[in-house]
This record gives sequence, C-alpha cells and structure tokens, in this order.
Amino acid sequence: MKTCILAIAMSLPLLAGADDSFLIRGATVHPVTGPEIKDGSVLVRDGKIIGIGHNLSAPKGVRVIEAKGLHVYPGIIDSGTELGVSEIGAIRESVDTGELGTFNPQLRSEIAINPSSEHIPVTRANGITTVVVMPMGAGGGGRRGGGGGIINGQAALVHLDGWTWEEMEVQKSAAMAMRFPTIQSPFGRFGGGDPSELPPGFTRTTFTDQKKTYESQLRELREFFEEARRYQKAKETKAPGFKPDLKYEAMLPVLEGKVPVVAMGGHERAIRDAVKFADDEKVKLIIGEPRELGKMGPELKAKNIPAVLGPTLALPEHEDDGYDSAYSLPAEFYKAGVKFALGSFSNEFSRNLPYQAGTAVAFGLPKEEALKAITINAAQIWGVGDKLGSLEEGKWADLMVTDGDPLETKTQVKQVFIKGKTVDLENKHHRLYEKYLARP
Amino acid sequence: MMKAFLTTLLACAVSYAAAPILIQNATILTVTKGTYKGSVLIRDGKIAEVGEKVTAPAGATIVDGTGKYVMPGIIDCHSHIASDAINEGSVSVSSMVGIPDTINPDDIDIYRALAGGVTTANILHGSANSIGGKTIVLKMRWGKDAHDMIFQGALPGIKFALGENPKRAGNPTGQRINATLRYPATRMGVEDVIREAFQDAKIYQQEWKDYNAKVARGESAVPPRRDERLEPLVEVLEGKRLVHAHCYRQDEILMLLKVGDEFGFKIRTLQHVLEGYKVAKEIADHGTGASTFSDWWAYKLEAFDAIPYNAAIMTRKGVIVSLNSDDAQLMRHLNDEAAKTMKYGGLTEDEALALITINPAKQLMIDNKVGSIEVGKDADLAIYDEHPLSNYAKVDKVFIDGELYFDRDKDIAGRPAKEADKEKLLEKEKQMEQQRRPNGGTNRRPAE
Amino acid sequence: MKRLILALVAVAALHAELPSAIAIRNARIVPANSPTIARGTVLLRNGLIEAVGTDVQIPADAWVVEGDGLTVYPGLIDSISTLGLPNAVTTAAATGGGRGGGANVIQAAPASTAPPARGPEDRPSTTSWEKAADEVKPTDTRIEAARSAGFTTAVSFPHRGIFAGQGAVVDLAGEKGGDMVVAPSVGQYVTLTNSGFGGGYPGSLMGSIAYIRQIYIDADYYQKAKAKYAANPRGNPRPAYDRALEGVIDSPRVLIPVSRRIDVDRMLRFATELKVKAILYGAVEGYRSADLLKSAGVPVLVNLRWPEKARDTDPEEIDNMRVLENRDKAPSTPAVFAKNGIKFALYADGIERRTDLYRAVKRAIDAGLSQDDAVRAMTIWPAEIYGVADRLGSIEKGKIANLVVTKGDLFQDKTEVKYIFVDGIKFEPVPEEPPAFGNRNGAPSNGEQQ
Repeated sequence: MKTCILAIAMSLPLLAGADDSFLIRGATVHPVTGPEIKDGSVLVRDGKIIGIGHNLSAPKGVRVIEAKGLHVYPGIIDSGTELGVSEIGAIRESVDTGELGTFNPQLRSEIAINPSSEHIPVTRANGITTVVVMPMGAGGGGRRGGGGGIINGQAALVHLDGWTWEEMEVQKSAAMAMRFPTIQSPFGRFGGGDPSELPPGFTRTTFTDQKKTYESQLRELREFFEEARRYQKAKETKAPGFKPDLKYEAMLPVLEGKVPVVAMGGHERAIRDAVKFADDEKVKLIIGEPRELGKMGPELKAKNIPAVLGPTLALPEHEDDGYDSAYSLPAEFYKAGVKFALGSFSNEFSRNLPYQAGTAVAFGLPKEEALKAITINAAQIWGVGDKLGSLEEGKWADLMVTDGDPLETKTQVKQVFIKGKTVDLENKHHRLYEKYLARP
Repeated sequence: MMKAFLTTLLACAVSYAAAPILIQNATILTVTKGTYKGSVLIRDGKIAEVGEKVTAPAGATIVDGTGKYVMPGIIDCHSHIASDAINEGSVSVSSMVGIPDTINPDDIDIYRALAGGVTTANILHGSANSIGGKTIVLKMRWGKDAHDMIFQGALPGIKFALGENPKRAGNPTGQRINATLRYPATRMGVEDVIREAFQDAKIYQQEWKDYNAKVARGESAVPPRRDERLEPLVEVLEGKRLVHAHCYRQDEILMLLKVGDEFGFKIRTLQHVLEGYKVAKEIADHGTGASTFSDWWAYKLEAFDAIPYNAAIMTRKGVIVSLNSDDAQLMRHLNDEAAKTMKYGGLTEDEALALITINPAKQLMIDNKVGSIEVGKDADLAIYDEHPLSNYAKVDKVFIDGELYFDRDKDIAGRPAKEADKEKLLEKEKQMEQQRRPNGGTNRRPAE
Repeated sequence: MKRLILALVAVAALHAELPSAIAIRNARIVPANSPTIARGTVLLRNGLIEAVGTDVQIPADAWVVEGDGLTVYPGLIDSISTLGLPNAVTTAAATGGGRGGGANVIQAAPASTAPPARGPEDRPSTTSWEKAADEVKPTDTRIEAARSAGFTTAVSFPHRGIFAGQGAVVDLAGEKGGDMVVAPSVGQYVTLTNSGFGGGYPGSLMGSIAYIRQIYIDADYYQKAKAKYAANPRGNPRPAYDRALEGVIDSPRVLIPVSRRIDVDRMLRFATELKVKAILYGAVEGYRSADLLKSAGVPVLVNLRWPEKARDTDPEEIDNMRVLENRDKAPSTPAVFAKNGIKFALYADGIERRTDLYRAVKRAIDAGLSQDDAVRAMTIWPAEIYGVADRLGSIEKGKIANLVVTKGDLFQDKTEVKYIFVDGIKFEPVPEEPPAFGNRNGAPSNGEQQ
C-alpha cells in the first residue's frame, strides 16, 4: 500500500505544473548544517529552497511529493573527477585529462566536458549532483597516467545535468590544478630501498639527482609566477608594448586570490612545500589527494588550508604502515581540525563516493563529518557554500530523496533534483539491466 | 605420587591440543542456514557446533560476540597476491609455468587481505596469454611457509584469458616499440591458439595412452617426451585441473564454452565475465560459474557494457556467481562489494553474502570444507563489529582452521613496539654510519 | 737487502727457475682441519706440501722463509668467482654497484642480441656445455689483486644465462690456462634470469623455474634414450646429440641462487623434485633459514657482499623493517649456520680490495662466527663442498701447496699479507687500490653506473 502511494506520488511531478517548484513532505530531512527534521518538508520554488521545516504547505500550482518513510539529503559533491573528460581509460582518443606542456594555466576543463558521457547519468543516479572536473597533466588517463605538467589548467565545478556544458556550469574556473614539484621516492612500487630487490637493468636515481630536478622545477615555477606578476603589473599600469597573453591572463585570478590553487601532492614533504610556496606567492591553497598528514596538521589548520582527499579505500603507502592507514586518514584530518572534502579522482567510480565516506566512518570519522565532506565542506572549499551543499533557505535545490542513509550501499536513490529540476535517473546500466533481464 | 604425575601429564596433553573456542552471543550469518543470534564452537580447527544456544565446554576460550557479526571467511576467487610472479607474457601458451612455483608467503598483502576478512584466495596467473599458467588456492595463513599456505585438497587450476589482454602483444601499435609481435592479434586468433593447444594436447594424450597400452601388453616401447606444457592441458581434458577463464565480451564467452564442448571439457569459472549477463542462459546451461566485479566498468572498451547488475542477473538466471577482486585493495572490502548487488539487482542479504563465501567455494570445489558456518567445516570465520554488508563495518578478528590469524586490537596494540624496534635498528645503523666516518659524516674522498 | 733478494727470487720464479723446495719455518700454522700449531714448519716441494709440523727437517736444497711472528694459513678459496675468465664483468659492475647477495647478484647482461625464444624448445638461455676450465687464462688482471688478498684458488663459473655452464676449481697462477685447473667440472651454475615482461621466454620467475624443470625432464629422457640406443643401435633411429643436455648431465652439482628465506624453502623443494645435488648460493636471509637447512643436507655459499644501505637516498624515505633487519642480521648468517651444523662457505662476489674483503669477513666474526670457522669457511669447507678436499683446503701433507702467510690474524683490520703460495710458487702482494668513491665494498660506485 505504502509503495503504491509512493509510486503515485513519484509520478505526480510528471503531471503537475512548473518543473522546478515542488514540496516534499513527510520525509526525514537532513539539512547537514542543522539537526535532522523528522516528518519534515522542503519547499522549492523556481529552483531554490524557500522553506524547510514541519508541515509546510504547497502554494498553488506547486506539486507535492509525498515522501513518507523516505529521506531528503543535499546532493552529493564529488570534489575531484574526470567526469565528461575521460570516457574509456585505456582508449587514448577518449581521454582529455592531460595536455602536453609544463605550464598550462589557460586550459579550461569545462569546455572539454562531453555532456553525453555515459558516466554522467550513471553517476547522478546515485545522488551525485555536482562534481569538480580536474585536469591532471600529460600521460593519458588522468591519475592513471601521472603528471608531467606542473600547472595543468582550470578545474570546473559543474552540475551533472544540462544539454550543454554551458548549462552544466556552476563555476567555469573553480581552481587552478597544479601538480606541485616534489621529490618522489625513486623506487615507486619497489619502495624500501633494498638495491638487491631492483629488477635487472633498473638503475636508481640518487637523491642528489632527484633534488636537482626538484629544485630546477621549483625555480621554473617561481619564475613563471614572477612573469605572471610582471604581466599583471604591466597590464594594470597599461605599460607601453603590453601584449595580452592567454597564459598570464589565466594566472591573474590566482594572483588576486580569487581562484585557489589545488596542489596535488601525496607525501608530507609535498604538502610542506606547497604550503611554503603558497605563503611566498600569497595564493590561496587547497591540498589535493594527500596520502598522509604527518605533522602538517597544525599548520594547515592555522592557515585555514583545506584538503581534498582521494579514495579512502586505498592501500597503505609503505609496507610497514598500519593496514588501515588510508582508511583512517579522513579521521586524522578531522582530528587535526583541517577542513576537507572527498573526491573520487575517477569517472567510473564517482558514484561510489558516499561509500568512501562510509568507510571513513568505520575508521574514526564521525558520521556527520563524513556527510559534510561530500556536501557542505566541499561547497565551501569551492567557494559556493552560499549556493550549494546543504538544505537551507536561499540555496539551490540540489537534493536527493532516498530510502535510507546514502553512505550505506543498500540505500536506493529515488529521486534527484538539480536546481529544482527533476533529474532523469535512467542510465545505460539500468537500460542494459532491463533489456537482458527480459531476454527470453 | 603416580596419580599426581599422571594428572599433570594429562593436563599437559589437554593444553597441548589447542583449547576449544566459543564465539558467544553474536549474530551468526551462516549464509546457508539462516541468520540468528547465537554462538559458534570451534574445536580442532573445525566448526564443532553452531546454534542459538551452545554451551561452552570445559577449558574453552570465550570470545565475547555481543553486538558483533560472525560470517564465514571471505573467499576471493581471483587474486594475484602472494606470488613472486604474475605473468609469463612471452608466449601465448604458457601452461608449463605456474603460480605454485612462486608462492610468496611474505607478501604483506596477505595480512592486509586477512584484515579485510579474506581467509581463502584463488591465486591466478595474469591475463597476458590466451592460455596462461597454473593456479593455486591458498589460505591466508600469515606467518606460515609457502607449503603450509596451500589449501589442501583443492583441485589445481589453470588460467585462460580472452579478449583485449592476450592479443595486446600482437598489436603493432601496442605497448612496446621494438618487441617482436606475438600471435594472436585478434579474438579470432585467441580461439585458434586455444584450439590448437588442445589439439596438440589430445594428440599427446593419445601418444601416452598408446605407450601405456604397449607397456601393459609387455611390449617394448619408447615413451613420449614428457611435455610440461601439454601435461596440464591433458589434466584439463581429464577433469583433473579446473579452467578459470578471464573474459569480457559475450562473443568470447560463448566461444570458449563451445571450444570446451568441442574438446570435451568444462570451463569451471569465467572470470570478470562482465558481459555475462547477456549470455547468462548459455553460461548456466554449460554449468560454468561466473566470478565477476561488483561494479567496475569503462576502464577499457570491452568493459564498456559492464553493469553493476551483472551478478544479480546471472544469479537470477541460474548461474553460480561470485564476486572477486583481482586487486590487493579491492580484496580488502569484498563485503562492501557484495552489498552492491543488493542495490543493483535486488539480491537478498544471504544471496549477497553467498557471492563471497559459499559460491566461490562451490566454484573452487572446496564447499565441503569452507564457505558457510556449518558443523564439520573448517573454522574459517570473520568477526565484524557491524553487519558486514554495512559500509560502517570493520573486521575485528579472523580465524583460519580455528587459529586466530588477525585481531584488530592486538594489531593496534602492537604498533608502538614495532615502531620502537624499527627506531632501534635505524639508530643502530646511524651509529655504525658515524663510526665509519668519524671525520664529519661525508662520503667524499679527496681524490674525487 | 733481504727484500731485494726476495724480489730477485720472485723474478727468477717467473722465469721458471723455481726453487725445488721451500720451507717456512718457525711460524704459527693454522692448518684449518687440525689444531693450530704455535710454532712449526711447512715444507713445500714440487707444488705440494711435503711436510708440516713442529719437527720438520728442512732439507739442504730448500729456500727458507723466516716465519717468526707470521701465521701460515691454507690459501683462501673464493667459492664462486669469475677470476681467470675473459670478458666476465665483475658482478658489481654488471649489476650497478653495492648489491647484497641474491638471485640477481652474479648476472651479466642477458643475451639480448639473440632472437627471443619462442618457447621451451628454444633454449637460448642455456649454455650448459661451456666450461670455465676451457676458458680460464692466467692473464686476467684481477688475479694479482685476488692473490694479494690471500686467495690462491677460485671456483670460476661462466655466468651468462639460466644454465650458464660448468665451473672449475682453478689455482690463481700458471703459465697457461690449463696449468691453473685443479678440477675441471665441479658444478653447473644456474641463475633465475629472465627477460622480463615483453621479452622472450622465460619472461618471469615462473618461466625460469618451468624452464629448468623441463631441461631436467629432457635430460633424464635423453639419457634413457641414449642408453636404449646404445644397447641396441641396429635398426633404431638415434637420439640427436644435444650438447645442452650433455652439459647438464655432466655436472655433478647444481648451484641454485637464493636470497630470502622463502627462496631457500622454494629451492630446497625444487632441488628435491629435480633429484639434483644442489648447492645454494647467495643467502641474504640465511640467518632466518636455519630450520629449513638443518635437515636438508644442502650446503650454502654465503655472499660476503652484505646488504648495504643504498647511497644517496631520500632521508624522508625510510626502509621497510624487513630490509632493515636483513642489513642488520645478514652478517650473522655464517654464525647461525655454524651453530646449526649447516655446511657453508663464503664467497667474495667481486670484492677486490683486501681491506674490504677482510672487513666483510670480520663483520661475520663480530656477529658470532668464530675466527677458526671463518678460516674454514674460506678454505677446507669450500674444498669439501666441491669434492676437492683430498687435495686442497688445508695444510696437510700431500695437498697442493696453496698458502697465505700473514702478519697478524687473518681478516682483521691490521692484517698484512706477506706472501702467497700458489702451487708452491711464492708471490708477494701488490699494493692495494685506493677505495672507490663512496662504496665500502670496493666495487665501482653508483655514480659510475648511471
């Protein structure tokens, strides 16, 4: 009986009036920035949340969605993805995450997003409404390729709905993606330093050489910033002989502190170096995909530098690390008072972001914090905390209706709304499911 | 005096045989015989009793299971850990090589898998070749030597691979620039390689049959040369070696089932089999098991039609399905992966749990020993602090053959001491370093 | 003055005007397999030890070497070597410096010019018929330095490939190669090289092991086929001559590389499966493997190139505990073996400088190996392992006159090598090379290999 009502209730939006106005009622509402509201209502008008509370009533013409027994959450934000810019990792032609060249601030990921990517419907079907599309640097399929570039381009913040990337846009330039120079362990997966374990023919690069490379890269980076500053000055003062340059133009918002730099690093040293650099160059910094926190907690907290953590479900960095070192990293960041969001740094696994958050809870992260890491924290880190990330009056109606806790796998996402518009949850996987289930 | 002596002797004997263990008052997920609050008694490495009310025998160690969940140890049907080698990628038929020759019991990923609830893993050769090397089933007995990790009584296996991977080395624009091209370069060639190999195996099998017949008749005969490459294939023909075939697309899946029919052998499991849902009927008819990912897709072209409903569809169509990892990290949370089949396809809790316990056990033909919590089976158990199908769950303890191989509390408690030991060695090394170079600690010699 | 005379004698020795007998008198004598003689005489004649003891009569025609304050040891035997072989790169140079013992230790570059193997039938990695005895030459410039460290004998092996060839016990002096050979075929040198992923067969450790297995199956088959044919050649096709299999069959022992405990476990089982008389070499984790070796009856050659911390590493990258432990405990392997009655010997793996060699042995002594056992591990024990103890390895009447005479105990920092006798010919040590930059083991440093 209940299912029946629900089914009818779900189909109502197709019959009733304006698509981006509706009232959800009878659900447990989870604003994230406030306590949960049992038997609550969310009122949406023209794509914005205009009311949250108990027993709100729908104005005339606004359809009602009965959601008894269900839950309403803000739409999930994935703070690091390849969605739309990489289709099949192994096929180079379908991958656009990494360009050639060392300093490419002028590259914009937004315009390379394919709104018809099969990954988009599949991902939003699990309640992910907004993602950051991150350029990763040369080498093929994003993080699978590895960075050769230092400044890789502008990351875009987009909604997972729209006929064109223009319609999807939330922020064309949410951050400048940087792979900060750092001294990497020379062995990679052969870590441990035992020379007799190297495969035959493999020669080690010495720390001295690594350091030289690092220092020269750092020098190049600093010079680039200096040139950008000179350009900035020349432009401001309308210096004679001034010629516009796309690369330096793209650096201006970074120098002005309007666009943060996401420094992809890894180890503690990379974080340290990035923080120092940001101090020296006076730019806003976000730490990208750190694999450890080390002793950097207090400094990150004091300087209000947030982080975007990669997948929780990862192997430890070193053989001697605790087996749960990656699992408990989010909890570590939380305990150190460092604000963070979570990113899948993937396309195919973006839909599993809430489960990464769930595992973090098992290993010490409070449940509310886990939810914040994929909603409000993310929104605030990307500078759209006034528009997204929680169920509050005045914010966009990016939200989902579920039959349970979104961090639990078994939970079904019943409905998704982006800016108040119903999102079509049909996707390639579901279509193939129906088709082949019905095969005689 | 004598009595006291004998009693002491008896006491020693009793304590010598490991004391029985009772895991008490937990939620027992038997997988095959329902879920209920109860207890499990372990004795002599086996499950001696399981039920709602189990009394503790004298001398039993009690493990308090209040609020905890006990399930059978997870069985991963596709793994590459614990081996010093994975692929012999030089030739398309490498059946002479095998994982059993390179078992590495020191691989830390064994311990990490344990910490994720895994007690048994099917260690496979990689997917570089149409016919790969021999495979082996291991229990995650961390700390034991290689031989003691082998799952006694499990049939040996062999790996086949279809699709993109085994033909990569035939691709002129492929990975390596100066390498010689290796046949096959197409899916057509992959089938050919397999059929040719089994054709050779059949001839070889006949040669030995003829020779043995001659010897039986008392005739003088020259035996055929023992060919290590063809021996395992003959074992496949005779049903003594299980075939685990990596495959993706429906056409190659169908192809292999038919090649099996042609030569008279069964494919034991199809691995990955991401388009298995399209030919579930044929798979079920052939009697093959399917071991797949929960939701991996789009990383290569042949995985582009992969759907997270794969396991559910195949299950509904009568295929015995398991979920595997093929990855040291994914292996650590197969319980989370199983939960996905409830979301995508509506499998029940027991059906989902079966995918990582009794089903892989059946596929590996070890279900008489492991895969569910039933009296008489090996005491391979994992204790979780929340329901294992919840993302909030983590593993507390893992038993294999009734021995405690993983204990989270002990692991965490032991970390400071390990750190200290490491510090000691590092300090010692630093001292030695300074002693050797008393003049300021530089490596430099004046001549340079 | 004395030195001048001795120099003239040495020169004269090179011109084949050898003294008919030499007596080293009033020296401390460490025979290796019998108790030390505090003060005695060793008499050499015609390249052999004629007498040794406290009351040896020195014949009139003997040259006398005053042994006061000196100690006479049996000449050291390097249990795995390439000394005397032309074109053999030292292990360290081939593999990039500073390696610990193990499977990759003695490995020249793989035969990359040959076309990749198409399968087990192809066997480009087998040159089992090659004999070091056929190739050794006394003109190898490394021989002098080796002698100056106290080596009189080396067991030299070809090193290239999986079945690299047959080793020979060679004395480190002679006019031509043949003069040097003491025992022409003492063992087959096996490595687990492979061409890596993307190369020919075998391209993995699994492949190398399968490769070796098939060779032994084929060798067994070949022997049976040959015997059958020999018994009845008429009317029967003959088995093709296969020099690779002949080489394997001719080898009385097989040297198999191991590094970790799991390698020891694996190779002991493999040797049992193949039914070969095995010697394991390398053994970085020997100290952890005593229980496996104790009852196995398989001798082990322990690499003196103890695992070292790599040079110039990232100070923020700390090695694994396993690696740290090996560095700490590897030098205790000989002591652990001695304690457990496991037969072993030591080999230099290309350590050329005397100081470096003695330092390496001393580390083993500091870790618990007795001085006497250290001497035995480089004299009588390798002789026993290779089946030449009837003629080498100790100071006994009738054995070959291979001796090293030192001032001070062997293997100490301040040890001075005074004379070396090879086949009864007296040599003096040459001055030591200065240490190469940055590497304690005397091999070329990492920097040169980049």
